[in-house]
Amino acid sequence: MKAPRSSMGSLLAAPAVLYMVVFFVVPSLILFVYSFWTAASYKIVPDFVFSNYLNSLMSPLFWTVTINAILIGLVTASITLVLAIPVGYYLVYVSRSQVILYLILITWFSSYLVRIYAWRTLLGTSGVLNTILLQAGIVDTPVGVFLFSRFAVAITLIHIYLPFCILLVVSSLSEIKKDLVDAARDLGASPLGAFFRIIAPNAANGLVGAFMLTFVMVAGDYVTPQMLGGSSGQTTGLLIADQFRKTGNWPLGAAQAFLMFLVSIALYFAVKGLGRATGLIVKRRPAKKVGA
Amino acid sequence: MTIRPPVIEITAAQKMFGSFQALSDICLSIEQGEIVTLLGPSGCGKTTLMRLIAGFETVTAGTVKIDGKDCADQPPERRPVNMVFQRYALFPHLDVFENVAFGLKVKGTPKAEIRERVQRMLHIVQLDSFANRYINELSGGQSQRVALARALVNGPKVLLLDEPLAALDLKIRQHMLVEMKRIHAETGATFVYVTHDQDEAMILSDRVVLMEKGRIVQVDRPEIMYAAPRSLFAAKFLGETNLFEATMASDDASGMTAVIASGLRFHSSVVPAGELRGKVIVSIRPESFRFARDNDTTQSATGQVEDVIFIGSRSFYTICLAGGFRVRVQIQRSTRTSLPKSGEKAEIFWDSENVVILPEA
Repeated sequence: MKAPRSSMGSLLAAPAVLYMVVFFVVPSLILFVYSFWTAASYKIVPDFVFSNYLNSLMSPLFWTVTINAILIGLVTASITLVLAIPVGYYLVYVSRSQVILYLILITWFSSYLVRIYAWRTLLGTSGVLNTILLQAGIVDTPVGVFLFSRFAVAITLIHIYLPFCILLVVSSLSEIKKDLVDAARDLGASPLGAFFRIIAPNAANGLVGAFMLTFVMVAGDYVTPQMLGGSSGQTTGLLIADQFRKTGNWPLGAAQAFLMFLVSIALYFAVKGLGRATGLIVKRRPAKKVGA
Repeated sequence: MTIRPPVIEITAAQKMFGSFQALSDICLSIEQGEIVTLLGPSGCGKTTLMRLIAGFETVTAGTVKIDGKDCADQPPERRPVNMVFQRYALFPHLDVFENVAFGLKVKGTPKAEIRERVQRMLHIVQLDSFANRYINELSGGQSQRVALARALVNGPKVLLLDEPLAALDLKIRQHMLVEMKRIHAETGATFVYVTHDQDEAMILSDRVVLMEKGRIVQVDRPEIMYAAPRSLFAAKFLGETNLFEATMASDDASGMTAVIASGLRFHSSVVPAGELRGKVIVSIRPESFRFARDNDTTQSATGQVEDVIFIGSRSFYTICLAGGFRVRVQIQRSTRTSLPKSGEKAEIFWDSENVVILPEA
C-alpha cells in the first residue's frame, strides 16, 4: 500500500513543485550564471569572472548599505516579533475570536504604497508627529530626522510586516496546547514563567522562523527605503534594484543578490546558534513511539 | 484537640459563562484524605467545578476555601493543589525526570532535594528506570503515571484528577484504578476525581458527588447512592434499574407503599429524600429479585419468562408481569436451585429494603 500512497503524494505536490522550478529555480540559476558575466554599455556579455563578487566585497558603499539592511532588518524583525508574540498569545490562548485576527489582517487590504505615503504624511516636517511635538512645546522647530532616516524606514516596515509576523506566531503557538500552559501554572509557574519555560522552548523553531522570514522580507525590501530612507536609510535591496533598473549592470546586481542571500543564511544559523547557546531552543526529541 | 477545617469548602458557588449558568448553588466540603469523585454526564459542570478549585476559573458568586483560606484572588500557581490533566499535558521538551521535577524547580527547591523527591515519587508510581525517557517514548499508562508523579511530588493538599483514565483502553484503565487506590493509600493525599464513568466512581470513591446541569444532586457514599438514590436521575445514572410509574398508597411508620397501574403494590422501607404524594416512580435494581421465597420475604409477583440471557456468573431474565409490566431480573449462578426457562411461569420475590420510591422527575 505504500507505493501508491507516495506516488499520490508526488502527484499532489507536482503543480507547486513545477511552478517553483520554472519560475524560481530556473531564473535563480540563470541569475547565478549572469553573476559571473560582465556588463558593457547596457549589454551583458557571457564571461567567467569573479570581479562582480570581488568588486562588491571591496566596495565601501556595498558594505554600508548591507550593514544598513542588516541593522534595519534585525531591529525591525526583533521589534515586530516582540510586538507579535503578546498578540499571538492573546489570539491563541485567551480569546479565540477570529474578529481580532481579521482586523489585524485588514491593513493588508490597503495598498503598500498608500501606507508608505501615509507614513510620509505622519512623519514629515509638517506631519502629525511634528505638529503634536510643536504644539506641546517639546520642540521649537520641526524635527527633520523623522522622515528620510532609518527610523522612518524601521517604523514603516514594522507596520507593514507586523500582521504577517502575527500570523506566523499564531501558527507556531497553535501547536502548543493550552493544557501545557495550564499544567505549568498549576505546578507553580507564573504566566511569564510558563511562557519562558514551556511555550518558548516548544515554539522556538516557529518563532525563529517567524523572526527570520520577517528579517528576510524587511532586509530585502527596497521600496520603503527608497521612499523614506533618504541618504542614510539606503539598503542592499535598493542598491541591487538600481543595478537592474538604472545602471543596467545585471551581472553586478546578480552577484550582490547572491551575496545578500548568503548573508541571510549566515544570519539564520547565527540566530539559531544563539538560541541553542541560551538554551531557548532545544533539539528535537527522537520521535520514537512504543506500544502500551 | 482542634477540629480540622475541611481541606476544601465551597459555599454557594456559582459560575456563569456569559449568559450560560455552568454551576449553580454549589455547596461542598471535602475532608483531608478523602477520595471524592465528581460524577455526571458531560456538560454537567464537573470539570468546571474542578477548574474552580484549581484556580483556572473564578466563581461568579460564592466562595472557595482551600485549607480554611478563601482563595478568590489566588491564581493557579499559588494554590496548594495540583492537577492531573485528561490528556496528561506532559511537557514534550523535557524527559520524565524533568517533567516530575518541574514544580519543585519552579519553587527553587535545592537540587539534591529535587533529586531525592523525584526519585521517591517515580518509585511510588513504579517508573524508577524511566527517569531519562522522553515523553514520546511512553505508553498511555506510563504517561498517566508520570502525570500523577508530576502532580504528587509537590505534596499538594488536594490532587485534582480530570478524567485521568478516559484516554486509556479498558484493560489498562482497570489496572490504573487499582494503582490509583494504592498511590492514594501510600501518599495519603486528598483526591478529587472527575469522571463520567459510574464504575470508576464506585470503585474509587469514599464519597460520590453526583452532578446534573450545573447542580449537585446528591452526595453520598457509593453504596448508599446505589441503594438509596434520592432522585430519578441518580437512580438511572448509577447502575441499572427497573422503573415503574406509580401512585402513593400509604405512608406510615413501617414504610411507604406505592401502587402501579396493574394494582401491584410495592412496599418500601428506604427513607425518602422528602415528602412523597401523588404520582411517584418505583425503582428496583435487577439483582434485588429472587426466584425463591425467603423467611422474611413479604412481596412477590407472578409473570412469564420472556427472555433469558446467560453470561457466566449471572443470568438476566426479562419477566412480563400482569398488565404488561416488564421486569429485568439478575440472578447469580447457582447449582442448587433450578431456574425457570424461557416461556415458563415464574414467581419473583423482593424485599422492601430494595424498593426505592422517588418523586416524579
